This record gives sequence, structure tokens and C-alpha cells, in this order.
Amino acid sequence: MQTFVTEPVDWPDTAPALREQVRALVAEHGERDPVRRANSWTKAAPQFSRKLGEAGLLGMTWPTEYGGHERSQLERYVVIEELLAAGAPVGAHWIADRQSGPLLLRLGNEELKRRWVPAIARGEAYACIGLSEPGSGSDLASVRTTARRDGDEWIIEGQKVWTTGAHVSHFMIALVRSEAGSERQAGLSQFVIPMDAPGVSVKPIIDLTGAHEFNEVFFEDVRLPASALLGTEGEGWKQATAELSLERSGPERYLSSMVLFLELVRHAQGKDDPVLAQLVGRLAAEAWTLRLMSASVAAKLARGEDPALEATMVKDLGNSYEQAIPQLVQAAVDFGDAEAEVLRAVCFYLLQVSPSFSLRGGTREIIKGIIARGLGLR
Amino acid sequence: MSDTRRMLAEMADPLFAELGPDAPSERALPQLEELGLPLLLVPEAKGGFGGDWLDALIVFRLAGYHALGVDLPAIAVGKVAGAGEEQHQSLMAFARAAQIAGALDAALGLAVGYVNEREQFGRPLGKFQAVQQSLATFACEAAAANCAAMGAAQALNRGAAQFEIATAKLRANRAVEIGTTVAHQVHGAIGFTQEYALHHLTRRLWQWRSEYGNDAHWSRRLGSAVTARGADRFWPDLTARTDPACR
Repeated sequence: MQTFVTEPVDWPDTAPALREQVRALVAEHGERDPVRRANSWTKAAPQFSRKLGEAGLLGMTWPTEYGGHERSQLERYVVIEELLAAGAPVGAHWIADRQSGPLLLRLGNEELKRRWVPAIARGEAYACIGLSEPGSGSDLASVRTTARRDGDEWIIEGQKVWTTGAHVSHFMIALVRSEAGSERQAGLSQFVIPMDAPGVSVKPIIDLTGAHEFNEVFFEDVRLPASALLGTEGEGWKQATAELSLERSGPERYLSSMVLFLELVRHAQGKDDPVLAQLVGRLAAEAWTLRLMSASVAAKLARGEDPALEATMVKDLGNSYEQAIPQLVQAAVDFGDAEAEVLRAVCFYLLQVSPSFSLRGGTREIIKGIIARGLGLR
Repeated sequence: MSDTRRMLAEMADPLFAELGPDAPSERALPQLEELGLPLLLVPEAKGGFGGDWLDALIVFRLAGYHALGVDLPAIAVGKVAGAGEEQHQSLMAFARAAQIAGALDAALGLAVGYVNEREQFGRPLGKFQAVQQSLATFACEAAAANCAAMGAAQALNRGAAQFEIATAKLRANRAVEIGTTVAHQVHGAIGFTQEYALHHLTRRLWQWRSEYGNDAHWSRRLGSAVTARGADRFWPDLTARTDPACR
């Protein structure tokens, strides 16, 4: 049995130059507050997103016809790992660049592509994903929001919840039930819903740190043109789940707590403390291994393979790692030490937000169930 | 995988399976020598097999997978010319990491096979969610150990590999804990017997975890090196290890 076959990753020749470009941009326009640099892919900063767009660092792999830059998947990977390692505030465009743009390019009609894709690449249009509903958490097939036809129009009724960034987004790609009376995975379709369409309302959900990332989104008699249907009517389930490898294996699954690790290294420097040295070593080894695994999944995606099982493993290990860092730092470091002030602030922030790491993108239990299926146990 | 490596794997796999954990070395060694495996890392010009570290990874991993009774990795590494004591320890740490990766995969395979077959409470053990979740955790650990060993082999081929070897041994060591625990737990009492094959793997895994640097040794070494370079160098150093212009 070998569950994860690693082939050497051929990093692009352009990688060093791209890294320099990103590092300079982050140094000039990035976030300085170490607490805000932690968990940075949830921090929306539209100005920074537009800077990235101007620099040609969004929509990197997309056709130039739609505002993209036709660069390779691994070049994009280099850019996003640089942004995350530096704790740059990429939250505004993150979902649009990672999932919505590629989905629109793959399945969208010409009207949808022209309207949204170039704006995403400029860092001006942001997206949210409408999957969860009050009655459906991980059990997405139980969605009840409906789309029904009325002449040339579709009418959307219902509610989504836990929608990250709905309040800064320009459109949502929502999974809804388009066939009355259908059950489970059948009869679902995806729709592109402009957030300013009449009948769409957004209500914040404030998290336990006091931050506003999640929302409830309500649809009351929202009328959309026929062209708002994404892909094929009734194929929504297949379309939505096909994206999951992109979402589960990226460096955002292990780099969320990188800023805390770096602060730990700063704190340990010059102390010759074996406990701190061992913790740094253990966390560095894990980071290196996860980077190799994550990049190796990216390389497989770039070759057109679907490494769904490997992607799931990266998410599970990556989330566990990100969650372990604040706990381990708290256990090892004396926060009474005045020198540890920054470390303590970043650590306490991450302790509070880290429970979400193994919820977003699929709960740990669901993820382990998928791995078990890959092992032939289900 | 390149053709030579596939050939190497196809050659070593059945032989290691046949020799297994108990073959006496007077019987095993001549057969290993016939395939040139003890001279795996000796250059062709010196009459060896001329293999690189990715070749070594394949052979050492398979030696672990089959819990090969002869310490072939030690023999092959012993013939690497010019390796001083410290370098020898590093190379053996790499070898043990590769063996651990293979043995974890084999133990995982045994465990999955067993829970699919063994019925309790009217259904196979593998249908119980708790058992599935444990094995999924095990699979992730085995995957991480394998990937880390691969990373070290690639680094050895590039040249300096201290960081990657430390990482691979440390990561493999940590995977031993979960892997051996889950493997025995899901096997129940049968896995604890001499007649069942699991102990050939797990007893070696526990041993290899201690050999050529335990968790404390490698984590302290790696941590001291990272700390000495400083926080601002960590990420640039990491990417420079793999980026084309830097290697």
C-alpha cells in the first residue's frame, strides 16, 4: 500500500524572480501588524488585492483574452505560498482567484465570463461560495434553497449561512435545488448571483474574536436572467465537488499559523533553550514536509490528474499542524516574560481562531471519512 | 518513476518478499550480492551499481516494507566512500527514515486488509467509523513519512541535505508512534502474536525510531540550525532549497 506517491516537483525557472516580486510588493503594501498577519487569507484588504491585480499576480493561469496572464500552475503556486508565508492580506480576492474564476472559465457562458473574470484578475471583483445552509453543514446534499423558472428568468428563494466574505463580495456562486421535489445530489444547479441583485440581503455573523468574516445571506424573490445558470442544469453537485482538490491542498491549509512559528523562532534566538529549539525543529520539519506534499498535489493538478485523496490528506495534516502550533507554543513559552509580548498576542489570536481551521473546507471527520474511502474501507 | 528505478523496484521487491524478516544472512547475502544491491551506491567506475539517492530510497523503502532481516541499507551506506562519522550517521538516518516509510505502508496495508476481513457485531471492523478514522490518521502519517523521505533523497541528489535528512528522520520518527499504535489496536490480540506478521514491522519500527538520532536529537539539531539563521531567513532558506536558480 502506498497512499501518497511523490514525484519530484519541477519548480519553475521563474520562481526566484517571482518570489522577489511578491516580497517587494508585500514589503511595500502588506500588513505590518503581526496579529493581522496571522491567518492572513481571511483578511480582506481590497487595496492590496488591486495592487496584486496591477502586478499581474491574480488570474495568473487564465487566458489573456479574459484578463489572465497564461502562466503555469506552479508559477501561481509560488506566488500564493509567498503571499501566505508573509501573512499578506489576501482575503478579499482569495476565493475568486482560487475557485470562482477557474470555475467560470471552465463552465461559464460567454456573458458570465466577460462580466466577471477580467475584473477578478484586476483584483476588483470578489466572490463568495454559497454552499452551507441552516439545515446543511457538512451534509451539502441537503440544500433547500430553490431556483424555479418563470419564463426567461430564474427565481431564487432561500438562505445560505457561514458565507465567508459575503459582505465584501460582488457575486456568489451558489448551489441550489433547481428541480422541485428532487432529493440529495440530484436536481441541483449552480447559479452566479450578483450580491447587489434586488432581494439579496446579507446579515453578519460575528465570530468569537469579534471579527466579521461569516454571514447569513437571504434570497427573497431574487430574479436572475437565464444566463445566471452556471454550467449544466442539474449537474450542480458534480460541478461543485470537482473543485474540492483546489480548495483542500493549497498552502493556505498549512501556512495559516506561519507567522506564529516565525515569532517563535525570533523568541528562541539567542536563548539556547533546548525546549524551544526542539519545538522549532519539530515545527520546521512539519512545515517542510507539508510544503512538499502540497506542492506535489499542485504539480499533479497541473498535469491534469485528480489527486483528490492526496489533497484531502494535505488538508487533514495541514489543519492539524496549524491548530497544534498555538497549543504547543502556549505550552512551551512563559508568557509572563516581557520579551514574549508579540508572541503572546499572535498566539492568543490563533488559539481563538484555530478551531475553525478543521471546519472550513470540510470538517475533520468528513475529511477522514473520505480518506477511509480511499483506503477501501467504505 | 524512471525506468531504471522501476526495474530496480521490480527486482528488489520479490527478492525481499521471499527473504523476509528471518532469512539467515549466509543465505540472503549471496542473493543480494547477485543483484549488486550491497554496491548500490558505489559508482559504476568502481564496479558498483552506480545508483543515486532516489534509487537508494526505493531499495531502502522496500527493505522496510518487507521487514528485510538483513540490514542491507547499513551495508550499502557503509560502502559510500569518504563518509566520515557524522556523515555516516546522517546517511543512516536517511536510510532508517526510508525504511520506516516502507514499514508504515506495509503495516497500514496489513491493518486495512485485516479490518475488511474480520467481522465483529455482524459486520467487518472496517465499517465502524471509529476504526475508519484511526486508519485515516495512520494513512496521513504514513504519507507524510514517505514524502519526507522522498524530499531527503532529492536533496541528497542535489548536494547538501542536512536540513532534509533531519526533517525526514524526525517526521518518520513521529509517524512511528501513531502508526504502530493504530496498527496494533485495530488488529486486536492477533497482532500481538508471534505467528502473525505485524510484529516484524512494528518491532523494527520502534527500533529504527531510536537509531541514528531519536526525536529529541533531530528536533534539537534542526531547531538550533533554524534559530541560528533567524526568523527572517526561514522562509527564504526553505524556498532556496528547491528553486532552480538557487540550487
